[in-house]
Amino acid sequence: MKTVAFAALVFCLAGCSRETPTPLPVGGEVKQVELPGNHPPLTTLPDPEANGGHAGRAPRRISVPQLKQSIITTTGREWAKLDDLASSLGKADYAITVSDSTEANLVFAKFLDDGAREVCKATATEDLLKPQGERVLSAEIPDGVGIPSDELLQRNLQSLALRFWGSSLDEAELSTWLNTFKTKLYPAADASASKRWQAWGSVCVAMMTDQRFITY
Amino acid sequence: MKKTPELSRRSLLKAGSAFAGASVFGVLPLKAFAQSMGLAPADHCFIFAYFSGGWDVLLSLDPRDPAVFTPERISETRILPDYGANPGGYPTTIVRPEGSNIDFGPAIGNMANHFDVMSVVRGINMNTVAHEVGYRYFLTGKEPNGAAARGSTLATEIVGQMVPTASTKVPVPNVAYSIESYNDRYPGYANALRVSSQQDLLLTLAPSPTQLDSEIEQALIDLKGNKVSCEADLYNSRGLVGQYRDSLAQMQTVLGAQLDKYFRFANVNGDSAELNAYRAAIRSAYGLGDGTNTTTPAARAATAAAALKLGVSQCVSMNIVGGLDTHFNRQQQNATNQRSGWNALAALVTDLKSSEHPNGGKWMDHTTVLVFSEFSRTPLTNSTGGRDHHISNSCMLLGKGIQHNRVFGKSGDVGMAAGLIDFETGLPSPNGQAILPDHVVATVMKAANIDYSITRVEPLNGLLA
Repeated sequence: MKTVAFAALVFCLAGCSRETPTPLPVGGEVKQVELPGNHPPLTTLPDPEANGGHAGRAPRRISVPQLKQSIITTTGREWAKLDDLASSLGKADYAITVSDSTEANLVFAKFLDDGAREVCKATATEDLLKPQGERVLSAEIPDGVGIPSDELLQRNLQSLALRFWGSSLDEAELSTWLNTFKTKLYPAADASASKRWQAWGSVCVAMMTDQRFITY
Repeated sequence: MKKTPELSRRSLLKAGSAFAGASVFGVLPLKAFAQSMGLAPADHCFIFAYFSGGWDVLLSLDPRDPAVFTPERISETRILPDYGANPGGYPTTIVRPEGSNIDFGPAIGNMANHFDVMSVVRGINMNTVAHEVGYRYFLTGKEPNGAAARGSTLATEIVGQMVPTASTKVPVPNVAYSIESYNDRYPGYANALRVSSQQDLLLTLAPSPTQLDSEIEQALIDLKGNKVSCEADLYNSRGLVGQYRDSLAQMQTVLGAQLDKYFRFANVNGDSAELNAYRAAIRSAYGLGDGTNTTTPAARAATAAAALKLGVSQCVSMNIVGGLDTHFNRQQQNATNQRSGWNALAALVTDLKSSEHPNGGKWMDHTTVLVFSEFSRTPLTNSTGGRDHHISNSCMLLGKGIQHNRVFGKSGDVGMAAGLIDFETGLPSPNGQAILPDHVVATVMKAANIDYSITRVEPLNGLLA
């Protein structure tokens, strides 16, 4: 059954690839990839037949404590109002509700958006006063370069994607983000000193409210 | 899946001008607002009002005559109304308005005057005296597994089956206000907007205090609308990301409509005179004082009415009043809290009775209301004068699809035990059945003209209009 589970996973990934997938062998046996010698042991995927046709567990929305810690980890600061809103975000209070709700519902979406704006504004505003080495949202952008080169922007966007999601942007998505930043976010933010934080602050908001930030 | 409607800048401007032009306060501004926003109130709306903690039905829905059920007879009847123990201007005997076929207890307050649009179900067997179990039983119509709810809440079932369509453009069809909500089989549109306070509701409806440049806001919306990577799509293998995307789209609709203004009942400097006059009318109708205290039962009732009448929601479930778990001392606290809940509901019913529904008739003709609690309290007082948990219960149904001015079922005259009831006549019968929350939920679903088979029981047919 290990083989079937592995085949299902390969099939899922192949279906999502932009390249033509190598056809699965018919009637043959799919061999498991050899792991490097020092690789920690992997947990075997559950049998899809006993798992509603799925090879792995269902994706989950992060809980309120996880959200709190994720924001601290990515921006270095707390969302001040999070504790007050925890109940509506789904945290159990053990008085009326005894289990956490991890629905990605309207209230969660709205409050996360509010929180992302609050935290990202503070982080981006502070970044404007910091030297490159200490910045959170524009760590790859040297001081005093005006509009950075595409290469620098791409490097910074990739670093933020890794910071917020733990994964890089693929080529097509990176191009979209780069274009949006260059043609819309940066010019609008650069129009006045009071808006300057919005250049990387808005990227932070977009990444913090992206599904990749709230799921695991 | 149906999408909630997008609201354009043009419709927002139209809404503003329509509101400003409305000269009659109360109904007309709401109607004008809803129509100009492209919001169309649902033809059949629902309110589920929960009295938290276990109400004393002797004080409201299942009274007993204290002249008959005297302290001297308690060894025989096991019932002690003890109405004289409630200071604070409560009646000391049964309340029965002229023309009413329904008796009420002394804490019923103004709600008794609405006997003409209600039925009371008595002698419901809750099968439990545990708070969470009885509460979730009534919410879902399914007996919980231990304390864990099974299935969807009734409001979710209704919204889930009555899929919002272009003609019912309610952006937040299901609101759960300080109450649990479950969805075990419907897409995201049926999920409740679950808030724990009115402040949370306002925060949900109001724009973020941290605004970005308008071009940047639009760029972010466009960016979110783009197809993302395959990896992100994989996370949607079981709908979670789809639900989140729906929620983001819903958020844009709600924010575009600036709905928060109509849920603030205190005057706001800088808002139009018409808007503040609308607020004054609501404060007066619901007794909200200056409108700043949003935690009262009356404020919750006013919020529910606004949600329906603005065309924002189809189902509003709310914990309208708490503090009913009165094991100690006399019943004054239970009576006081119940009365505040009933009076708030009475104001709501008065509002719905007097407001015109866009499809004709009054709002009450288009709304079904279920009022419930997890169980009732013992018919005898305990050693401290309080009452403990009692397995037999009552509930109230009002409005569309339900017979009016009617009592259905009966609790026994000894210990108020639940008995067997004929579901056609509503009278006790040795060949009848025990009334369970399943039957009440099935009755509401039948009244809504939706499939009630998930309850696996038949409704209380004699109660249906």
